[in-house]
Amino acid sequence: MIGYLLRRLVTTIPTLLIVAIAVFLLVRLIPGDPVQVMLGDAADPAQAALLKQQLGLDRPVPIQFLYWLERLAHGDLGHSITNGLPVLPLILERFQVSAVIVLIAVAIAACIAVPAGLIAAWRQNSAVDLIIVGSATLLLSIPSFWLGLLLLLLFGLKLKWLPVVGYVPFSESFAGAALFMVLPVVTLAMIEVGVLTRMARAASIEVLRLEYVTHARAKGVPEWRVLARHVLPNAFAPTWTLIGLVLGHLLGGIAVIETVFTLPGLGRLLVDSIFARDYPVVQGCLLFTALIYVVVNLIVDLCYPLFDPRVAAA
Amino acid sequence: MKKGRRAHWLFAGLVLAALLADAASAGAETLLRARLNADIRSTDPGTNRDANTDGVIAHVVEGLVAFRDDTSVGPMLADSWTVSDDGRTYTFKLRQGVKFHNGAVMSASDVVWSLERWLDPATQWRCLSEFGPSGIARIEKIVAVDPQTVTVTLDQPTALFLPTLARPDCGQTAILHRESVGADGKWIAPIGTGPFKLGEWKRGQYVDVIKFDAYSSRSEPRTGLTGAKTAAVDRVRFNVIPDSAAAKAGLLSGALDVIMSLSIPDMDDLKTRPDVQVSATPSLSMTGLLFQTRDPLLQDARIRRAIALALDMPQIVDVVMEGTAKANNSALPIGSPFHGSVQEQGYQQDLTEAKTLLKAAGYRGQPIKLITNKRYSFVFDAAVLVQEMARAAGINIELEVLDWAAQLDRYNRGDYQAMTFIYSARLDPSLSFEMLTGPKATQPRKVWDNAEAQAMLRQSMLTSDPAKRQALFDEMHRRFIADVPMIVLFNGSELTALRKAVKGYAGWLFPQARFWGVSLQP
Amino acid sequence: MRIRANTAIGGILIALLGGTALAAVAWTPFDPLRVNLRARLQPPSAQHWLGTDEFGRDVLSRIMAGASTSVLVAVATVVLAVTVGVLIGSVSGYWRGWADRLIMAVNDALLAFPGILLALGVMIVIGANSIGIVLALALAYMPSVARVVRGTVLSLREKEYIEASRVLGNSELYSLLRHVLPNAVAPVAVLATSMFGWVLLAESALSFLGLGVPPPAPTWGNMLAASRPYMENAAWLSIAPGLCIALTLLGINLLGDALRDRLDPRMAQR
Repeated sequence: MIGYLLRRLVTTIPTLLIVAIAVFLLVRLIPGDPVQVMLGDAADPAQAALLKQQLGLDRPVPIQFLYWLERLAHGDLGHSITNGLPVLPLILERFQVSAVIVLIAVAIAACIAVPAGLIAAWRQNSAVDLIIVGSATLLLSIPSFWLGLLLLLLFGLKLKWLPVVGYVPFSESFAGAALFMVLPVVTLAMIEVGVLTRMARAASIEVLRLEYVTHARAKGVPEWRVLARHVLPNAFAPTWTLIGLVLGHLLGGIAVIETVFTLPGLGRLLVDSIFARDYPVVQGCLLFTALIYVVVNLIVDLCYPLFDPRVAAA
Repeated sequence: MKKGRRAHWLFAGLVLAALLADAASAGAETLLRARLNADIRSTDPGTNRDANTDGVIAHVVEGLVAFRDDTSVGPMLADSWTVSDDGRTYTFKLRQGVKFHNGAVMSASDVVWSLERWLDPATQWRCLSEFGPSGIARIEKIVAVDPQTVTVTLDQPTALFLPTLARPDCGQTAILHRESVGADGKWIAPIGTGPFKLGEWKRGQYVDVIKFDAYSSRSEPRTGLTGAKTAAVDRVRFNVIPDSAAAKAGLLSGALDVIMSLSIPDMDDLKTRPDVQVSATPSLSMTGLLFQTRDPLLQDARIRRAIALALDMPQIVDVVMEGTAKANNSALPIGSPFHGSVQEQGYQQDLTEAKTLLKAAGYRGQPIKLITNKRYSFVFDAAVLVQEMARAAGINIELEVLDWAAQLDRYNRGDYQAMTFIYSARLDPSLSFEMLTGPKATQPRKVWDNAEAQAMLRQSMLTSDPAKRQALFDEMHRRFIADVPMIVLFNGSELTALRKAVKGYAGWLFPQARFWGVSLQP
Repeated sequence: MRIRANTAIGGILIALLGGTALAAVAWTPFDPLRVNLRARLQPPSAQHWLGTDEFGRDVLSRIMAGASTSVLVAVATVVLAVTVGVLIGSVSGYWRGWADRLIMAVNDALLAFPGILLALGVMIVIGANSIGIVLALALAYMPSVARVVRGTVLSLREKEYIEASRVLGNSELYSLLRHVLPNAVAPVAVLATSMFGWVLLAESALSFLGLGVPPPAPTWGNMLAASRPYMENAAWLSIAPGLCIALTLLGINLLGDALRDRLDPRMAQR
């Protein structure tokens, strides 16, 4: 088991290296540079050149890359150009915010989506199926920034149940933090319910066609038992893989929700840094999200046998 | 069902807890909550900064001189000053009893230390190049004559010395206490003389400024960044809220008191709300349509002129600024004391004339790429309207939307056919022309490459005589309109939305809120 | 085979969409780009059935014109991503060895990027135009397709009936095309349909984050993003494109399910 784990970890190294190179190149291919953003419309060429030199941006890109790689090997992601802070602590701080939202939202979404998908698959092509598929489609076709604002206006402004702007970390006040988390989590969960329901439905349909289900039915096992015992666990396994994919992607991808709800998360940091051309932060964030993605999927793969009776039996 | 009920109670409990927490903190101090659309870049004035940074830091630090509401330069930490007959030596008399945030009393030696620190290349002062070989003048010496007197000697006379010192983006050349930097010269935090001290800065969330109780205020009324500046609230919190819709919801729910740099659609909506007031002040920023006069097509002045004549500028401005700004084709902002009847003369829409010019120039519908961005809604909206109006004259404009940094890159390299662009505020008329005029060979970002105009610009920088300067600016304006290197469309408008409980707020020419003298009515 | 209600509903929705997109090329009630500053933000009326936007442009005309652009962008993206993804995935899964390892390392690297942000970066590089959007979004989605296809190919490669096909003297390519790839149709169809919706929305999110198809060329995504400041006082601006996206997705999903059932070989065996 440990040998397998190590082997898996080793195979991710080339992936991460490719990510690192791609990130570095992509960031520098983007037109515009941090010095111009800093100086705005009054950029004196001499002043710009001086700043570039101070930031080490005047060196050839391959040299910059090697310097960056060397420091990376020591766990140093460099310093933000925008505000001079070390990148790694900045990322870790922002990551906590995003991770909490994503984990809770996906957990809630899975709890709703897997049963819903199962029922839709069980009554495939009936009115119930159409209603579930229709609602799921409706949910996943609402842009998150739109849904987020709608909820914000309703619960924040009209009903005044929840705070509208601001953020309190869990470390300061649990209740306060929870209040700020409700709307982003609900928004994200609603959209993910749409995505996961469709996935769960597709997986359940596959399972319902398998012979042992027919067998079980033929043996006179009650229908609810067939569903609960045979279909649900088997249908959950592929959905579980997808949850891994979703989780990995969401961490960087909830920039939109973090913007709407003014949360200092990783996604917003990344988007802000792209627009400010803050190279070290963009590089650090993308590398970090890639790492998280790889780790999450590793965990998902390792847990897979727990959810798939077929694999577990084998 | 049972599970749902429990969740419900948990939820209610959380709400209650938050309410109690709120109630406990209320009453202790007066807190004004403002919105920033992006985090500040540093607390180090005049170095790593942007408009938001300048705006927050202006509450904390002050310079010898500062801009007044009408863009003239007035005394701030200086009580008065005299200029020698050769125009090279400035003698500043300092105000008595001004205290730094750490309690120390400001004296001439602090001024000398601060000015020398600014001029040290290690400080990375943004405005250092102004005092270098290619700048306005070099500073030859700075002397503390006595504890209340400082003299600064330049190598040549210039009209721009005091305006440069006062520039907010130069950190107002703030007078700081030595403890603002560590023993190694590294920046720690500003210990200034402003009406507020710097409080906590939670990156990405908020930055606080706290009332400075020992602030010694000037006696004349508040104007620009000088005059009476006593704080009337205990604390101002600048909340970082990038999304404008969220900020609007925050204001309406009472979680925010002030939204600065309001967008036009939001202003339209907010001004109808009962507990909100909106303040609109003309600003000095300049939105314009830039042409690349070296472009094979647009090097023909007739085509550029035809575009200018195709536009109904009052209508463009009216739509994109919702009546908060007026059309202005002059490089000098409407608020400038040098903006007179000559500067009123711009372009009049004339479609027949535009079509005649296009025909004469042999224009046959070749596409013109117009770059714009969505960072500023009015810059983008202006581009849409320009495209639409030009179409009526038979001009084929295609829009290209870039992000701000990419557009800046194209601007700095002069790599474009046309773009709608926004220039930040320039407080002196010479500087307004300086940002446009220059040789493209060495400064590709300059839009107007006209040797005579550059000669007149240099003259305007050397003389302080208003009449002479006015004559120069008038002549430059006439040539600017004739050459059409760009079309100035309008000067911006600084829009602020406040809850009605906020009293004493006034906007001004700069896109920066001033919260001294502002109070909160319970 | 009897046409089911779901399939019929899906078919009708997509036919409507296709019809609108085609019709818009020939005719719209108003010029979708014509600015009318005297009729800004008008609620739905007899003249403007879906009201007007912040520039006084007719929303119905823009919805119709937007159908063409949005559908074109979405179809182009999906086709590009699926074609390249299937190609890479099957080649990788069939060859195995170092080529597979290299391809998959690159593929996983691409997968590890958050899709929308990869697209954002690529779009800043290529430029915010229709081609930039298609390339950026296709690049972001292609790796998932490649991965799914490779997985299917790998799992079926050694199955008896594939071996049998080989023994019978069929070429590798033939067995791949005839026996292996059909099994990948079901998962790819699910992916492709969700991708279609994702593209419609991603384009909107890109507009929200500051980039998108250059307006004034209307797409549903950029209309929705532009409507946000007016959500409270001009709700029709967001409801119209939002509903169009939702109905299109519903139609695509229903049809996608039908397609999957029809093409799934295990289904056909029955």
